[in-house]
Amino acid sequence: MNRKLGLRRSVGRLWHHFFFHKMTEPSELAPTAQVSNPASSPPEQAQSATENSQTLPIRDSKPTQPTKDAPASTDGATEKPLSPAELKKKAKADKAARRIQEKLAKEGGATGSTAPTPGVGAQARPPTTPKKDANGAASAQKGPRAPPPRRGSGPLAQTGSVLVEQKKKKDDKKVAVFGHLYGQQRRVTVAGATKEVHHAILALGMQLMDYTICGSSARCVATLIAFKRVIESYTTPLGTSLARHLTTHLSYQITYLSTCRPLSISQGNAIRALKLFIAGIDPSTPEASAKTSLCEYIDSFIREKITVADQVIADSAAQKVQDGDVIVTFAGSSIVKQTLLLAHQQGKRFRVSIIDSRPLFEGKSLARDLAKCGLDVQYSLVHAITHAIKDATKVFLGAHAMTSNGGLYSRVGTALVAMSAKERASGVEIPVIVCCETIKFTDRVALDSIVVNEIADANELLPMSTPVSLVVRNPADAYVPPPPENKKGGNRAPAPEPPVVPHNNSSSPLANWHNTPNLQLLNIMYDVTPAEYVDMVITEMGSLPPSAVPIVHRMVTNL
Amino acid sequence: MASTVSDAATADTKPFDIVATYNELLRSDADLTMPIAAIEALVLLLTQSASSTISETLDLLEKSTAHLKRSIPNPIGLSAGTDLFQRYLITTLQRPGQLGPAGDFKAIRTHLLSNGRLFIRRAKESRDKIAAFGRGFIRDGSTILTNGGSRAVAALLQKAADEEGGPSAVRFRVIYVLSSTSQSCDHPNEEPEGMETVRALRAKGVPVSTIPESAVAYSLGKADMVIVGAEGVVENGGIVSRMGTYQIGLLAKAIGKPFYVVAESHKFVRLYPLGQYDLPIEQQVLEFKSEEDLAEEHKQQSSIADTNGDIPTKLPLCDSVDFTPPHLISALITDSGVLTPSAVSEELIKIWF
Repeated sequence: MNRKLGLRRSVGRLWHHFFFHKMTEPSELAPTAQVSNPASSPPEQAQSATENSQTLPIRDSKPTQPTKDAPASTDGATEKPLSPAELKKKAKADKAARRIQEKLAKEGGATGSTAPTPGVGAQARPPTTPKKDANGAASAQKGPRAPPPRRGSGPLAQTGSVLVEQKKKKDDKKVAVFGHLYGQQRRVTVAGATKEVHHAILALGMQLMDYTICGSSARCVATLIAFKRVIESYTTPLGTSLARHLTTHLSYQITYLSTCRPLSISQGNAIRALKLFIAGIDPSTPEASAKTSLCEYIDSFIREKITVADQVIADSAAQKVQDGDVIVTFAGSSIVKQTLLLAHQQGKRFRVSIIDSRPLFEGKSLARDLAKCGLDVQYSLVHAITHAIKDATKVFLGAHAMTSNGGLYSRVGTALVAMSAKERASGVEIPVIVCCETIKFTDRVALDSIVVNEIADANELLPMSTPVSLVVRNPADAYVPPPPENKKGGNRAPAPEPPVVPHNNSSSPLANWHNTPNLQLLNIMYDVTPAEYVDMVITEMGSLPPSAVPIVHRMVTNL
Repeated sequence: MASTVSDAATADTKPFDIVATYNELLRSDADLTMPIAAIEALVLLLTQSASSTISETLDLLEKSTAHLKRSIPNPIGLSAGTDLFQRYLITTLQRPGQLGPAGDFKAIRTHLLSNGRLFIRRAKESRDKIAAFGRGFIRDGSTILTNGGSRAVAALLQKAADEEGGPSAVRFRVIYVLSSTSQSCDHPNEEPEGMETVRALRAKGVPVSTIPESAVAYSLGKADMVIVGAEGVVENGGIVSRMGTYQIGLLAKAIGKPFYVVAESHKFVRLYPLGQYDLPIEQQVLEFKSEEDLAEEHKQQSSIADTNGDIPTKLPLCDSVDFTPPHLISALITDSGVLTPSAVSEELIKIWF
């Protein structure tokens, strides 16, 4: 009954929620248009990010910020709003021409498609030499970290002259059912950020877009901390009051962040609370004290809604862990990790089975961290779900959000795990427990995973890590891959990751998918687990059935 | 400091034994439910104790509650009462004003105690309220299947039987499931639980048929609905109830008959069991034994014949309970209205926050 009410109430809101498209201002659109050419290699992104964030203060003083391709701009300093776009076009054409040359030069060269385009950040360098530099830097930078497949590693060597055709091609590269989610290309560089965007936000944006900061709560905390820095370095312009102007100032930052990656529900909730607090500041309050009270508010918000909430959740979730349990979890949830570590500290003896999936492999670090702390960990990919679920006794899941109809909106693949646990054919029903802070509750409803979702760059699906047995390794790092029965092997280290070879996309059969007709790639980020597959939601307010989500959400937001 | 004072206080009131009081209350009044008996025992405790500060009172309360819970084999029902009372005390004490932390403690205490009694009276009245809500479910010509010795169910059925329009305004029949375990327990000669209700109903002119548990599936086809009582209603809307309720729920679901639960709202417990074996009590239901084990046990039993202390006694089979998950329950008839299982958590959250 309640569910129905909540549903009716929030169905109306669904429509303007297509992931914040409308938050982008028109001025932003022109610069981001160049984003549609995702031909710069990831390390270069990072480089340009740092470069740009360093040079930003200087650029701030100039009114024409996106004109870094100075030599290309023959029309000199341009103030007209149209000229940067023109410049971009020109630069793009240049780039394309160069690339074609390059390609011809290295016919079928291995790194042809990943060649860094000396576009936005680095320019006027001879086209061949920096490539090696960049690649070297790439492997050096990536070094120890498991390379999360990055966006922007794709091919795409279209010439600027066939823009129309390109557009058409782009369109049929969109999976029709999810067409509404493509709305805006994600930003890949900091180029084109308006001058109001604070450098802390620029940096955060980069971290968000390449998944350095990933996970709903982490993103929320990082955003709030960055906002604190924005507020600290903020001065109210003459003629306005802090309560009025700071909100607009923040909205520039928010817009920027949402172009890096669509905002998470938790970020949205935190921002809403913060804006509400700002609006409530008495205009007569001196700026300094208003700023301190804001910073204090942010601090206490993080502590209350996330830090302490996590402790409370871990505490009550750990009570549900019993000796002899085999706990299945999916991907890498920070709160599940905290729960399992706490239960382990309490001396409970149980096994953990981590299910992971491409392309983010979030479970790898979870597996490593748990194993390091002495837990028995089994790591497998989602294909092995039926095996993993067979001897499981409980399923613990993290959440990106909980919707008002009790749906669990989480990393794609979660629904598969939850449904496998509830599969009655095997005779057992394994309880599915979700750990979720109330900050992740939303009043939206999700009936399927199509209406609301997030599409990541399809190029992330490309990097093909060659099966271990096929990689020619030098004897130095010879590591005998454990036999398949390591599935069951308790304390074994997480599954061997193929030696980090700089991604060689041209070896992937899909590398040229942009130009292959009839081929579409879909890289969806989330899915919705219906409420009937969730037994229990553990929040800092207590344990609830999923049907109680709207009640608690209403209570939390009214407080 | 508070602890030393309270130590002294407990030393003063040493004779007051909360467990004995609780048991005595339950014995003396057949109409008393476990949570209410627990609350009444706690009120009595506060009357007897000489506590003079808030923290001391709360401390005493907490200790006695823990003691009570430890000494009763199945504390699920009573924990609903103690939790509720504790919650009520805390919210009363936190409220600003004359009765808040700033006020005179004597006044606070008398207020608390009088309100505690009021609460108990209201709780007793809640059964009538439930009967009023639930009466509409029993239609003319319907057949109702029920089990156990729930007083709320008995009150509901009797209310329906003697409506104001003369003897048995609503004509209905009852199939009463009599538990075989309850009679074989400590009083083998006693009649099974529920016989009293059966007699009362028959006296009112309601045709009653009594069946053993094994005949439930056979008889369900003739029934229009199932109405059961509950020992505790848990957070997800499921119920903890007399052993055998779960299987009736499963059968009712399979056959497609509505399954209603009658429970007072003070039986809502802050507990979230994930399954049958996730209840915070030890039950002796499944005991795997070979001939050897039996012989050994017999030997041991004769050796320790009279160890009967404060040790948490294991629940005997006749008092064992099971958990009926919410998806088997059509609705809960409570004194705060007829609720769906999912509305229980809403009620609980309202009480606790």
